[in-house]
Amino acid sequence: MQIEAKNLGMRYATGRLALQSASFTVSAGEFAVILGANGSGKSTMMRIIAGITKPTEGAVRLAGQDITTLTGRDLAKARMGLGMVFQHANLVKRRSVIANVVCGTLGRHRSLATSLGILPKGEFGHAMQCLERVGLTKFAHQRASTLSGGQAQRASIARALAQRPHALLADEPIASLDPEASEEVMRLLRQLAKDEGMAVLAVLHQPELARRYADRLLGLRKGVIAFADAPANVSDDEIDSLYEGFHPA
Amino acid sequence: MNSQHTDAMALPAPALARSSSFGGPIVKIIIGIFLLLVLVQALYVVQAQPGELITGVHGMANLISRSLPPNVSNLQSQLWPALETVDIGIFGTFFAVLLAVPLAILAARNTTPARPAYVFARGLIAICRSVPDLVWALLFVTAVGLGPFAGALALMIHSIGMLGRLTAEVIEDMDMGPMEALASTGAGRLQVFSHAVVPTVLPSMLGIALFRLDENIRASLVLGFVGAGGIGFQLLTAMNLFDYPTVSTLLVMTFIIVMGAERMSAWLRRRIA
Repeated sequence: MQIEAKNLGMRYATGRLALQSASFTVSAGEFAVILGANGSGKSTMMRIIAGITKPTEGAVRLAGQDITTLTGRDLAKARMGLGMVFQHANLVKRRSVIANVVCGTLGRHRSLATSLGILPKGEFGHAMQCLERVGLTKFAHQRASTLSGGQAQRASIARALAQRPHALLADEPIASLDPEASEEVMRLLRQLAKDEGMAVLAVLHQPELARRYADRLLGLRKGVIAFADAPANVSDDEIDSLYEGFHPA
Repeated sequence: MNSQHTDAMALPAPALARSSSFGGPIVKIIIGIFLLLVLVQALYVVQAQPGELITGVHGMANLISRSLPPNVSNLQSQLWPALETVDIGIFGTFFAVLLAVPLAILAARNTTPARPAYVFARGLIAICRSVPDLVWALLFVTAVGLGPFAGALALMIHSIGMLGRLTAEVIEDMDMGPMEALASTGAGRLQVFSHAVVPTVLPSMLGIALFRLDENIRASLVLGFVGAGGIGFQLLTAMNLFDYPTVSTLLVMTFIIVMGAERMSAWLRRRIA
């Protein structure tokens, strides 16, 4: 499945223009990374693609379906095809790793039993495969609280995979990880794009890591896409220009 | 995990700032005088007369000597009311938890479905809490008659207040990340609640409930005084008949029940944490 953003525009009620005619496509099997300074519109872009915020202009097509026109159940259904990874692993710490992963399948098992806190038994095998994909099978029955930061983030990716998504969205997935764990997660995201043929789109604050792992870099500057090309075709100056005039506190 | 760490590090700073704003010596003196005045008016209002206490001590001694040795001949007939007392506490706590949980979901800012539900739940909790259990017992005695059921209902209603409020606070304090993550996988509202909120808050909730059980067993003793069954009613009857040896037996039983409930509750709470 591919993610297609077409002419996205977002003007907040305050009049601030957060995004302006932004168009791009992430095809199946591609790992794309959005780079940009704070306030460049990265988060707005991610929220629109995830179907959390509606754009004031343009469309987002997942597998050809425009999700900006969907509401309620239809939107929930469309979003199930989209796995989400956040800055924090957001695991339920007191439950086992495997239980956390099985939770990723709850959307397709809406029943009284699952509403009362019972996990769908039939999904444990699939969840184990997802854990295998991220290399955590031997931690399956440990409490999630015993995992390191990098392991927890990989477990959260396994939970997203358990959902059986066609595409992955990762919002600063390595922002709270140490360098080694960051590399692990980046390698994993790239592998998932290649092996599973998923479209993977991540927002990142590390241009250097993005350059090494991504198939394509999307540069956002003041709500406008400044460049969208393979890392080899993007110069360091172009990347630096995204952060010009931006002084981290 | 990182942000939690920095939050913990940031805590002492505002606390320090607050204490230093309490600075000036004049302010301290004024506060000191104010506290002294509060204490003096309290002594006056309660008509504190330590002399009375000292001269009256032989009356107390007399009472104690008349209640010894405890009368254990009726022990068997007193075991039932003792069991009643414990069971009033268990009934009240169990059904209070059952009703407090849904109320707490409505009364927690991060899980309430709508503002009116929040206001309604908070209001209901406040009413349950602010009316003392003794008053609830009197109300229920008129409704269901004398006996343990009235006491159990009274404890249940009063406990809903405390349990609902504390549980709502536990829910409000929890990390919202797992909830958002589960919602993003397409899980429904109830599923998010039962799979993310419940496992996270369950230990704290059980701890609160056990603490309440201990309190309720103690409270159910007092409820007997207004006719809501249990050992308290026996105590009242024996005192009215000046049957002090029986009173002392009942007090020993009370002591055992209260200590037992407290120890058991503390032990269980330690097991959970």
